[in-house]
Formats: sequence, C-alpha cells, structure tokens
Amino acid sequence: MAVDRDDVLIRGATAHMVSSAGTRAPLGHGATSGAARRRAEAAVYGVLFSAFMVVIAQLFVLAVGRRTDIALAISEPVAATSFSRPDIVDRNGRLLATDLEAPSIFADPGVVLDRDEVVEKLSTVLPDLNASELLRALSDKSRRFVWVRRGVSPGIAQRVHDLGLPGVSFRYELKRAYPGGKMAGHALGYVDVDNRGVAGIEKYIDDKVGVDPVHSAVLSNRPPVRLSLDIGVQHALEDELDDAMRRYHPEGAAGVVLNIKTGEILASSSLPRVDPTWPAQTLNDKRVDRMMGGTYELGSVFKTLTVAMALDEGLAKPDTVLDVTKPLEAGRFTVTDMHPSRKPLTVTEVFTHSSNVGAGMLALQAGPEKLRAFLQKAGLLDQLQTEAGAVASPQVPQRWNRATTITASFGHGIAVAPLQFAAAAATIFNGGKTVHPTFLRKFDAGTADGKPLISAATSRQMADIMRANVIDKDGTGRKADVPGYRVGGKTGTADIASKGGYTTNAVISSFLGAFPTDDPQYLTFVMLFEPKGVADTAGHRTGGTNAAPVTGELIARVAAQLGVAPQLEVVRQ
Amino acid sequence: MRLLNVAAFFFAVASALLLYALNYDTRRLEAELQAKERLADRARSDIAVLKAERGTLARPDRIDDLARRLGLGPPKPEQFAHGREVSELNERELNERRGSADGR
Repeated sequence: MAVDRDDVLIRGATAHMVSSAGTRAPLGHGATSGAARRRAEAAVYGVLFSAFMVVIAQLFVLAVGRRTDIALAISEPVAATSFSRPDIVDRNGRLLATDLEAPSIFADPGVVLDRDEVVEKLSTVLPDLNASELLRALSDKSRRFVWVRRGVSPGIAQRVHDLGLPGVSFRYELKRAYPGGKMAGHALGYVDVDNRGVAGIEKYIDDKVGVDPVHSAVLSNRPPVRLSLDIGVQHALEDELDDAMRRYHPEGAAGVVLNIKTGEILASSSLPRVDPTWPAQTLNDKRVDRMMGGTYELGSVFKTLTVAMALDEGLAKPDTVLDVTKPLEAGRFTVTDMHPSRKPLTVTEVFTHSSNVGAGMLALQAGPEKLRAFLQKAGLLDQLQTEAGAVASPQVPQRWNRATTITASFGHGIAVAPLQFAAAAATIFNGGKTVHPTFLRKFDAGTADGKPLISAATSRQMADIMRANVIDKDGTGRKADVPGYRVGGKTGTADIASKGGYTTNAVISSFLGAFPTDDPQYLTFVMLFEPKGVADTAGHRTGGTNAAPVTGELIARVAAQLGVAPQLEVVRQ
Repeated sequence: MRLLNVAAFFFAVASALLLYALNYDTRRLEAELQAKERLADRARSDIAVLKAERGTLARPDRIDDLARRLGLGPPKPEQFAHGREVSELNERELNERRGSADGR
C-alpha cells in the first residue's frame, strides 16, 4: 500500500512541475491566441483538480489505513479484557468492596533472552510460580504476550522490576479489594481474575447492575451498589458467633438479622467465614454458606409456623387446652416430648414447653393439606431467590400423610435453608404479610406489597406467645431476655438427619428471636451446628442453653444501633 | 494584478504561519490535556486507594478492639434517658441559665 501511495505522489508532483513549466511560457510572451490560453487554463485547472484528488485520496488512505493499524496495535498485547465494577457499600455508605489499580506482570517471549534465567529469578520473588508452565509458554517465540502473575502488590512489582529482566513488563489492571476482609464474605461473593463477578452480590452486579469492559485500569463511574447490610450489626453478629464457637465448640455457626417490616437483611453470617479475596476457600464444604447454601431440618423453631397456622385457622386459641400427656403415634414412629408433661397444656404452654406432641396435635387438627398449603403460602416449599444468588432448594415430604404432617409440625422431615425460614418467620411478625428477604437497601420502607398469610390479630398473638416464652419461668427462651428490649423467641434443637435415620450424638441448636415484641421490628435467627455440652450449659446442647444466650447478647449489642429504645420501666423492674 | 499576486503570496505565507502556529498550539494543548488527564487518573486512583484504606481503618472489628481498650462498650439499657427526663433536664438547665443571667 505504501509503494502505491508514493507512486501517486511522485506522479502528481511530476505532473505539477510539467504544467508550471508549460504555463510560464505563454505568460512570458504575452501574445497568444485565446484558444491556446483557454487550453492552458483548462490544463492548470485539471492539474489542480487532480492534485486535490490526490490529497483527498491520501487523506482517505491515512484515515482508513491508520485506524486498522491502531486497532491491531491495541489488540495484540492486550490479551484479556478486564472489567471495572461499581463499589459496594453498606446501608450507611461504608465501603465493602472497591476496585484498586494493581500491577500485573507479563512477559514477551520474543524479547526474553534467557528464559531459564527469567523463570529462575521470578521464582525468587514469586515462590509459588508454576515454573514449568511459564517455561513452556516462554519457549513459544510466536507468542508476544504471556501473563506471569496478575494483580500483585506494589511491593512485589517493585522487586520484580528490580530484577531487571528484559522482556518482563507491567500493566496496571483493576483488582477487587475488600477493606472489611472476611466480613460478610459469603454474601459479597467473589470475582475472577478478569474482575468479573462469579458469586454472591458480585455476580448480581454483573447480571443486573452492569460492569464496564476496560483495556486498562479505568475506575468505574457507576454509582455504588448500596446493600441492606449494616457493617456495625454484621460485625456484632460475627463477633457473637465467634464467641459462641469458643464457648460451645460447634462445627459451625450461622446467624441473620432481618428487618421484619422491609425484609432487608441487616447482617448475615456463616462461620467458618470465607475471604472474598481467596475464592478457592468457598469450595471447602465446611465453609459453605449455612444461611443460604444448605438446607437443614430446623426442629422446634418450626412450631412458630404450626401454632400461627392453628390460631389463624381458628382451630385453637392461645388458652385452648391440649392433652399432651400421651405420646403421639405417627406410622412407625412414636412422637414424644423431651420433658413429657404430666398435665394437659394450653397452646401457649405447648409453645413455651416446646411440646412436639402438642404441635403434632395442632397440625393433625388442620390436616396434611392445610399444613402443606400454609407452608406453601409462607414461601417455604419453593426455591427462594435473593440478590446474593438462589437459596438451596427446600427438601419437602413427597407425600403429606399423618406421619409427615406430625414431623413437619416440629421441623423434622422438612429441610429448608435458614434464611428462607427466617423470612417465613418474619412474615408471622409482620402483621401476617409476606416478607421477601433482600440484600439491597430499600428506600421506600413499606409492607404494602406483601400478601397476607395470617391476620394481624394472629400476628399480635404470636408476638405475645413468643414474649411469654422468654419471660415465663417455664419458658425455654429465658436466657435470650435483654432488660428493656422486649425480646420474644423460640428455641430449636434438631437432631441431624443421616442415612436411614437421625444421629444420636449431634444436634443443630437454634434460636429465633424478635424484638421489640410490642411492635416487632427486627428478627434474629442464630444457629449452632453440633454444639458440645459444656460446663456453662450443664452439659446440655439445647437451643435454650446456647443459641438463646448468644441471641440475648447479640440483641443487647445491636438494639440501640438499630434505633430500638429500651423501655426503662421494664429495666427498672 | 502583480499587487494582487504579491498580496495573495503574503496572505498564503501568513496563513501558513498561522496554521503552523495553530497546529503547534494544538499539539501543546493536547500534551497539556494529556498531562492533566494523567494527573486526574492518578488522583482518581489515589482516591480509590485512600477510600480503601479508610475502609480498612474504619473496620468495626478494629474500632471495637480500640473502643474496648478505652473502656467503652455497647450502650446499656440503663444508660438511656427517657424522653421526659431529657426535656426536664433541659428545662432545669434553661432555668439555671436564666437565673444566672438575671443575677448578672
């Protein structure tokens, strides 16, 4: 193309020289015929016109030709496109995730002189470098670009720079940073090496909010994504769960704090935690997000739903008496209570004594179909979607018969993700209107969109029964009480299902809490997986002895942060 | 005619010079703009780093630890004053102030 262009130029120039020589002659003589003069003029115009055409053609060639050259120049060394992402902040604007510029090291095999030396010296700075793979990549001289390590710290980059290796250079790329470290790691998810969201909120940002492909380290102009999480509450929850891990030695722990009115998740944690900077950790089964990623038979906390259904259907009143003195036959099984009552109990007492027999009797009164329909309406039988990904699908009985109805009434034979259960429980205290949990900050706080599950009156009754369970001398949730904050709650101690039955030596203990019960605003759900009996709990592993006090301490710590004022009359009493 | 030619010649030379100056100026401005853009980019990057550092420094677990060392802790229910007590407190303070003002 260049030869052609020069050719045109030379020809144009020659033509111009010839014409200027030709036109000077007639001017010098002064007298020539008009026809010759017109011819000369026409020739001059012709030459000028062709010169212009040459210039235009040249411009065109330059414009079109140059652009392709540039495009090639860019696409050659930039092997991968990275993405710039908006920041993630908590509900009060405190930073949870941001993009930072980080140097990435690459090599040009065509310029590398001694590849053994390069690999050897790089290994001194980057000890975990895959030497044989890099050596193989560098031996392919047709390649002009090989990544050595992406997103290193400035210190490492400086040390590699100081090695002075020819053919090894740097590019600045965006790297996701999580200033909070492991905080809310499960919910935040993580990104891949190209800064693209792979899991959790990060994936939601890719799918719904949008990220921008960039060729270099260009920070995003998009407004930050504001989550419903409050890092103050999140820290309190994680800290209390850490404490519970030390005191009761469970295999894991999980907890959530939910705004009952809006469904906003203020804190959600699962221990052991994951660090979003090290995504490989999430592959470890023990580090699964127990709040969303696993389903569990939750045990007696389910009685909250059973009792709410019975009250709302008009099958019983809080003071209706049930004869729970005899075990309940359920197919091959016999359902008994942990501490069988020698006298009949009211519905409130069934709740506060956590009587399996009583809950089973209430469920049987309603019948399998009604119980199933109630759980369906509460959103417990379908998979729940949140911004941090889909919650694990619930495992529900295939056939609803007498046995499954009885077991489901006290949370066995049905396994759901704890977050899904917390949302259903929040519905009970939200005046009966369904609550959809969300990880995004809601600015239009309202409950109008929730479909009614139970009546507001039943919701009120349930809050009172929950409160009774914490203040009654026989209540199982006494240890969750916090003076002034009117805590209500239900304990749960579930045997862990294993092949062909239940393990006898391991439980999941939990506590479902709501406060303040005169107008429930916040719901907490704390779970301990396989806690051990310790001296503090007199060797017990029940929810009332471990999850309940953890909840109490959590509420004492976060209630004020959440704007719930203590009632001093209660404190002074 | 000759005058016209000379004028045209000077005009052409003048415009060539002007064009050259303009071209030069444009290049200079372009370079200046690029330098400013680089500066802005660096500032943006610095802001991002500072923001992340502030985020790290403001980590609740760090603040929690520091606060506890200073003997602080979450507010206890009895540390809250009732609305009326606060207004009574204000009234008392106001009366005291008024009293001292009258004395003066």
